[in-house]
Amino acid sequence: MTTVWDYIWIVQLLPVAGFLAQALFGQRIIAMFGPAMGRRICGAMAVVPIALAFVIGVFVFYKLTELAPDQRVQISTWFNWIDLQTLRVPFELRVDPLSLTMVLIVTGVGALIHLYATGYMATDRDYPRFFTYLNLFIAFMLMLVLGNNLALVFIGWEGVGLCSYLLIGYWYHDIANAKAANKAFIVNRIGDWGFVLGIFLIYVTFASSQAIVGDEARLLSFDVILPLAEKVLPTFGPAVVAAVPILLFIGAMGKSAQFPLYLWLPDAMAGPTPVSALIHAATMVTAGVYLVTRCHVFFELSPIAMLVVACVGAFTAIFAATVAFGQTDIKKVLAYSTVSQLGYMFLACGVGAFYAGMFHVTTHAFFKALLFLGSGAVIVAMAHEQDMRRYGALRKYLPITHGTMLIGWIAIAGIPPLAGFFSKDDILGKTFASSHYWTEHGWLVDPKILYAIGLITAFMTAMYMTRMFWLTFLGKEERWRESAAGVSDEHAHHEAHVHHPHAHAEHEDTHGFFLSDDEVLERERAEHEAEHHDVLTPDHQPKEVVPSMWLPLVALAALSIVGGLVLSGGYPFSELLHWDTQHLFRDWNAIAAAPTLLPAAEMFHADHMTEWILIGSSVLAAILGIGVMAFQHRLGIPKSDREITGLKRIMGAQWGFDGAMYKTFVDFGGRFSQGFYRWFDKGVIDGLFVNGSAWTVQSFGKLFRKAQTGYVRSYALTMLLGVVVILSYVIWKTNR
Amino acid sequence: MGSSGLHPAAIDWMALGPLIGVCLTGVVAMVLEMWRPRMNNNGIVGVCIVGLLVSGFLVIANWNRPGGESFGADYSEANGAVGNLGLFINDRLGQVIQLLIVGITLVTVLFSEGYLREKRLPFGEYYPLVLWSAAGGMVMATTRDLLIFFLGLETLSIALYVLAGLSSKERRSQEAALKYFLLGAFASSFLLYGIALIYGATGTTHLSGIAAIANTQPESIATFSVLYAGIGLVLVGFAFKVALVPFHMWTPDVYQGAPTSVVGFMAAGVKVAAFAAMLRFIDVIVFTSSVWITVLAALAAVTMTIGNLIALAQKDAKRILAYSSIAHAGYILVAVVAYGASKSGPYEPLGQSTVAYYLAMYGFMTLGAFAVLSLTGRDGKEGSTLEDYYGLYRSAPFPAAMFIVFMASLAGIPLTGGFLGKFLIFRDALSVDMLWLALLLGVNSVISVAYYLRIVQAVCTEEPGVVRSRFAPVNAGLFTACAVCAFLLIAGFVAADPLFDWMGLSAPGASVVAGLPGR
Repeated sequence: MTTVWDYIWIVQLLPVAGFLAQALFGQRIIAMFGPAMGRRICGAMAVVPIALAFVIGVFVFYKLTELAPDQRVQISTWFNWIDLQTLRVPFELRVDPLSLTMVLIVTGVGALIHLYATGYMATDRDYPRFFTYLNLFIAFMLMLVLGNNLALVFIGWEGVGLCSYLLIGYWYHDIANAKAANKAFIVNRIGDWGFVLGIFLIYVTFASSQAIVGDEARLLSFDVILPLAEKVLPTFGPAVVAAVPILLFIGAMGKSAQFPLYLWLPDAMAGPTPVSALIHAATMVTAGVYLVTRCHVFFELSPIAMLVVACVGAFTAIFAATVAFGQTDIKKVLAYSTVSQLGYMFLACGVGAFYAGMFHVTTHAFFKALLFLGSGAVIVAMAHEQDMRRYGALRKYLPITHGTMLIGWIAIAGIPPLAGFFSKDDILGKTFASSHYWTEHGWLVDPKILYAIGLITAFMTAMYMTRMFWLTFLGKEERWRESAAGVSDEHAHHEAHVHHPHAHAEHEDTHGFFLSDDEVLERERAEHEAEHHDVLTPDHQPKEVVPSMWLPLVALAALSIVGGLVLSGGYPFSELLHWDTQHLFRDWNAIAAAPTLLPAAEMFHADHMTEWILIGSSVLAAILGIGVMAFQHRLGIPKSDREITGLKRIMGAQWGFDGAMYKTFVDFGGRFSQGFYRWFDKGVIDGLFVNGSAWTVQSFGKLFRKAQTGYVRSYALTMLLGVVVILSYVIWKTNR
Repeated sequence: MGSSGLHPAAIDWMALGPLIGVCLTGVVAMVLEMWRPRMNNNGIVGVCIVGLLVSGFLVIANWNRPGGESFGADYSEANGAVGNLGLFINDRLGQVIQLLIVGITLVTVLFSEGYLREKRLPFGEYYPLVLWSAAGGMVMATTRDLLIFFLGLETLSIALYVLAGLSSKERRSQEAALKYFLLGAFASSFLLYGIALIYGATGTTHLSGIAAIANTQPESIATFSVLYAGIGLVLVGFAFKVALVPFHMWTPDVYQGAPTSVVGFMAAGVKVAAFAAMLRFIDVIVFTSSVWITVLAALAAVTMTIGNLIALAQKDAKRILAYSSIAHAGYILVAVVAYGASKSGPYEPLGQSTVAYYLAMYGFMTLGAFAVLSLTGRDGKEGSTLEDYYGLYRSAPFPAAMFIVFMASLAGIPLTGGFLGKFLIFRDALSVDMLWLALLLGVNSVISVAYYLRIVQAVCTEEPGVVRSRFAPVNAGLFTACAVCAFLLIAGFVAADPLFDWMGLSAPGASVVAGLPGR
């Protein structure tokens, strides 16, 4: 029977269709319709399915709001995928507020970023390959958030990891990009190790507990295990109760780049900027937060696990914020900022405010995607130069980019009434208010300390974002004009470019929304020579980007302005000033259906006075942060930024952590493996076992081969001997 | 309805249809060749393909018709045997094997013509001989009378003796034909002597009669030793045909010398027919004594091991595949032994499905492999050492890719029917408590990977400065043959369940693949 919930399969399958169409026909379409028109068609083929999925997602979401709150979990099953006596895993999707929130983020922000990418990648040689991966990513991401069992979530989990790998290494001609892709893939394996063990442990405990009887052995399905977790897990002792959430959290740490597994995310910026915005800021990296929220019952059962989550989150937040100060690459700043913000989300989950974590996922998707896309626009306008020290005063040249990024900057800094303030303040407030609950339940760390860390991080966030914004857009110096001589010497082989800056500019003028055939081809050729290592020349004139790129910026800017206020219904002001609004994430039970084991949200409430103080301090932190940095930059770029030295240098090098990890695991590990290979593998395994046994077997073979003389008479004799032996045996055996 | 006296019993012509179809096609092909001796063979190939398709269709048309034996003769009443006996039996095993032989012949015909032209062997009589040989195989598989079986065997063999020597300019082809003929005659004499001894002991050559007498009237058997000696000698005859050690010595020499397309047919078709007949024979003899299971298990063990070990030491692709076919005979014999043991011992009865399935998969993977190997035949010459296959991957990518599938299947790597077949044999052996035999099969399977990989390596090796014209161009027939074989191997794995249902040879009530984990 088809119900309205089955429409969710259309949402799931649309990107799959887009992926297949792009993969199978993309190159042919470009060959058939020419480089410009073909790209337009391919771009449309990539954007339309995602946009359509978003529309259907909104429809399903609307239908869900019509149900009573306790019925807002609907499951749509397609077929039985694994059907064993002890384990059934159907192909089933789960429609509930949590999954739909993620679906709307993934398809909504995803569609905008796809649109942006049609402009950003317009001159790329492998245009269809890019959108093939991008659509495939959306498909896997939807599987991840919609899957109603851990097996499907795992498919999505690995699938997005694969797409992330493919897209980081998209420009694979550059060995550095390929290495970055490998790093992301390998570091994520550590997280997956934990996730898989977590799944196994859940299966084993539920299978042996006999709590689920009959043929409903859907031991990995959320609607079966989540309500029973409270009954089942404690019977296996405290170690298992803590192990399940911690293993799941290790998985989340890998995907969501938490310390110490954050290492891959900054390197992942090697991918094209739309990828950074979509995968490494808005959606995939929040999968860990989604997983923790989805499985929150397991976490709530174990205060230890909650403590681990909260502490890792808080530490990652402040650690990554410090690192961001030492960065000169605009995308790297945003990458560490993302790591830091993800830390916030886990902090929220750790203190039990899962809804606040999801709220921050949502607002962060808006403003971080905006910031990344804005940085992409800047990078395009500045001939693929990513060093902020060579920007400056770009507000004159890039008015739209400047205006939208301004909004993103204020939003992430946490100035009300923009989106970032509401979610960040929610997290900080809940962290502070949960203090008495967690200290009563055996936490060694008072959440007030975590609150302090969060507040300092908020202050630092405002600072480094101001630094980034100032270096890029504000000030009077147009710094790319300063270092003219040095650059052209360094890149003498690019002289051709230097000689014809105007030819480039002419084309910039002519194109509107799309490029013409000739332009595409010419740029493709240019790109072939340079592959994104264009040189920023002193006489470079930055131009505003094409509409297909700035339209998403405007849309995301609008969301960054009103998103937080609308979604939270103005909370915390709504409560203090007695507005009649709903906090969509908290009141609408976005966290989901399973009964929450923590005390009601009211228990986390501070009194009104404290609330005001909390609001005041977080706004103050934001304003102070902006003010300090503005003061430092008032006279142009500070000395410590021209030459990154001292503390900034240490911070920029991630306090030496990345280097130490590299030395320990890659260098030393490599040498250890080499030694082991020489001694054990070559010597013992190959020498003794493999070659030894092969030699023995071969010698037997040669021995028997001697019997094959080639003479019929000897063959006949062998047969005769065989007959004699067989008959003698038979007669002897039967006549006893 | 045992007929008394020599009344002609009702003849089920429909059941005989496939056999008649194949024989007639051979006759038409012969007439065509005689009619236009100087023309090329395209017409003959066309006639053969149509005839074989019709025969295959006739087999399927028989599928659900009531079975039974026809051409009844008078052994029954006098000796107290029961049931509807006859010289020809129409049952599901016979139908499956007939279909298999028709399919193997069809694939052989498909890739033969290109090869024969390259080898400069434009003999039209090749096709009638192949078809009549196939008809002999079909007779072997559809009779329970030892004399008719012998007739089928000789029909099959004599045609093959001629075919093996077809390349009259090549000494090794002549040598192969002569060796095959001499040793074949030697083995036939054992077989015939064995039949005679059985007749002497029981007074009948029909298997049902033998079974009935052995079970119900042991006192009427002159001496059991005579019966056992007879059975033993018949088994030797089988062992020669399917190449069990120590009756295998002819195999490598004949496989190396005979034309490759003939070898493909020989390796696939003959084994299928002989094992099918053997299955019927085992059905009966396991009730006379338990010694046969021991003897056959020992033969299987020796055959697998020696076949694989010698294969490792070979440097000639056709010889490697010859030893591989010996080893595979050992594997199939394990399945036959398990089947026999389950009938006579305290075990759940196993169906004939494992043997039939493995024969089908083995037939097509071997035939496919020889089809690809035939690509070295060019300008009347043919090399078959491993070096001769260097660079095949460049010159004929599709057959080479399919060749990898065939080798993977022969080695028993999943996603191919070869894997599932070996798995089922392994399971069958375990289900009759023959752990040692199952383990030996596993070990041998591992050893065999080494030499299969060596051929694959040769095919994929790029030799600098290799002359690509060393290989014959790929024609549509060869292409189709490779594609069909590979498709059947993969389909046999993927759609195993429906295939077993369709064959309907499983033990009653058991889902054949039920033992697989996850089913």
